[in-house]
Amino acid sequence: MSNVARSGSLASVVGASGKVRVVAVTGAASFLGSHLVGLLEEDERIGRVVAIDIKAPQSGGKKTRSYELDLTLSAAETRVAEILTAERVDAIAHLAFLSSPTHATAWSHELESVGTMRVTVAARQAQVRKLVLWSHTWLYGAHPSNPNFLTEKHPLRAPTREPYFADKMEAEDQARKLAQRSPGTTVTILRTAPILGPMVNNVFTHYLARRLVPTMMGFDPLVQFLHEADAIAAIHLALLRDVPGTFNIVGDGVLPLSTVIKLAGRIALPIPHPLAETLVGLGWIAQLTDAPPSFLKYLRFLCVADARKARDVMGFRPAYTSREALLDFVNAERLRANRLLSETTA
Amino acid sequence: MTPKKRKRSPAKGRSTKAPRRRTPPPGPASTPVIAAEKADAPTALDPASAATAQSDDYSEDPDVTARMHELEERLDRMIDAHARDRRHGEPPPPPPAPRPTPPPPRPALPPEGVLETARELLSADFYLRKWGRMGLRNRSQEVDDFGHDPVYEQKVLPFFEFLYEKYFRVEVRGMDHVPSEGRCLLVANHSGTIPFDGIMLRLAVRREHPLHRDVRWLAEDVIFHFPFLGSFTARVGAVRACQENAERLLHHDALVAVFPEGMKGIGKLFKDRYKLQRFGRGGFVKLCLRTRTPIVPVAIVGGEETNPMLARVEYLTRAFGVPYLPVTPTFPALGAVGLLPAPTKWKILFGEPIDLEEYGAESADDEVLVGRLTERVRGAIQATLDRALSERRSVWFG
Repeated sequence: MSNVARSGSLASVVGASGKVRVVAVTGAASFLGSHLVGLLEEDERIGRVVAIDIKAPQSGGKKTRSYELDLTLSAAETRVAEILTAERVDAIAHLAFLSSPTHATAWSHELESVGTMRVTVAARQAQVRKLVLWSHTWLYGAHPSNPNFLTEKHPLRAPTREPYFADKMEAEDQARKLAQRSPGTTVTILRTAPILGPMVNNVFTHYLARRLVPTMMGFDPLVQFLHEADAIAAIHLALLRDVPGTFNIVGDGVLPLSTVIKLAGRIALPIPHPLAETLVGLGWIAQLTDAPPSFLKYLRFLCVADARKARDVMGFRPAYTSREALLDFVNAERLRANRLLSETTA
Repeated sequence: MTPKKRKRSPAKGRSTKAPRRRTPPPGPASTPVIAAEKADAPTALDPASAATAQSDDYSEDPDVTARMHELEERLDRMIDAHARDRRHGEPPPPPPAPRPTPPPPRPALPPEGVLETARELLSADFYLRKWGRMGLRNRSQEVDDFGHDPVYEQKVLPFFEFLYEKYFRVEVRGMDHVPSEGRCLLVANHSGTIPFDGIMLRLAVRREHPLHRDVRWLAEDVIFHFPFLGSFTARVGAVRACQENAERLLHHDALVAVFPEGMKGIGKLFKDRYKLQRFGRGGFVKLCLRTRTPIVPVAIVGGEETNPMLARVEYLTRAFGVPYLPVTPTFPALGAVGLLPAPTKWKILFGEPIDLEEYGAESADDEVLVGRLTERVRGAIQATLDRALSERRSVWFG
């Protein structure tokens, strides 16, 4: 196992015959997807990039072929299988997931849970050799009984009545099912910590972008982050290396939430948690808050993952610590506040 | 920071990944761009960290570092000037949409004079910045893996030192049994309705041990359910008791204290004081066998009389998340004041280390052996306790 980690990246690319040449990226116009397409475009080991999304990624270049396809449609399964077969795809990076909760739960279920089923079934039909699935360490759930560092063996205990988590858990199940049923396919599940960075936009950046950041009175959980560049690098690494299994992809180090808010230059607004549950519940119904009340547990209890397996088995070493990722995000926010970093519109 | 103008509505509808507002620039723009941005971006919050991040490549070249610092400072100044211009140039509430590229000429005022200062003092931004800086005055910027905050601990230390020196007048014996280096597990009796023994044990080793080693003690899960209590104990050095946490600490060669009696220990009635309860399921012995850790039995005398529990009410308490309601001579009769510990005289006695080196890691699965070793540790602590109690003449003066 450890020799995989030690050998150079070129040497450990799936054997001489099984090199990954053609990569398909679902959700290619999303933040992670478009950056991954850009990175693969530059990688001379990759011959072709197949971008699948409802619109073409802006980062696509000469190597990229874009297919505009909606995974929520039932015809998507055969269409994806056709594309994978026609392009002779070796590996899929399945990134078509939401990074913020939505009120359109029926649609998000169709995209995340059923969409993953469609992709995995298509991958089986087209005999794709590798599937990399993007998941989240939040699926472990925040509980006071969690060990400080959750390993990949820990059961997933996120609140299943919350569709944002339930759909992602179902997606992971689909991917594991694929690994069981077709032994020729390497399935890698990457559970990332909340992603922060200068460009990324997700539920946690929304939370930290407020001037008054609500916290749960008397609770100060430790949190960890992953820099956006590291997230993309991890998916890239998983595509090139043959590492079946589930991996926590997290930055080094932990920070108390109170310190995070202070480093971000925000003011914490402590609210007693029963009151906050009610307020956020009402706010979510009224579409005033970014997240439903089930996310408040992550502001009370620990949900921190152990990066050891990714380091030892996959050879992934994050370039940014949790703190550096946070500061990078904060600096970009500062520039943005002074309108020195303009926002490029998609 | 100025208020954000960014729209951050979660994208609904037909997109594969909700937020699309900040898609990267087209072309082969990916990680390298981000990395480059990082190098360029002035890290005003923490220039040192940016410098260290770069120092791998450029540390041998002082010119480059100096030049980078200079550039960073210049950029910082530019940003500040820009921000100042913007604050002066336009009224904050409705910023005129087409802002002239060269900022409007500043109103004629004595530059950097009284007005400037007054304006600075009147702006909300000034106070927000000050607040942000003050926020971390009692906190260290970095905590360890388990949330121990050395700066915060220093702040609350005088209180615990007072308890240690003046209130409980802790006396320590057998400190030479605590090793100077390497992992070690201190196994102690748990005591008191409100357990102070963890922090007292930590202080005892910090003060009396020749190397002033840090003890991390494992605390019951139950305290992490409660607001304030959980975050406070974690900041002063407690770790939630579970196999994974203990193993991680021992792998880092830490000095770890456990109270295997757990909740049963805290919930001892006064008549059962110093009678060791069941030692869990021997989890600590399994842990030591697996990680090859020596055990030092510790007897804490005096702690079990601080809050003498006369009765334990378990009726209806689960609904509030508490395992039981203690009834002491003063609680709940006197309210929260009744929970103050009695000023008993404490003695912390460290016993001979018990080495488990002769058993292999695989013997952790041998339940008979684990049970025998658990009893051996329990017997050692009970014997020390009994001896100390028979020598003790007074609960208050030792």
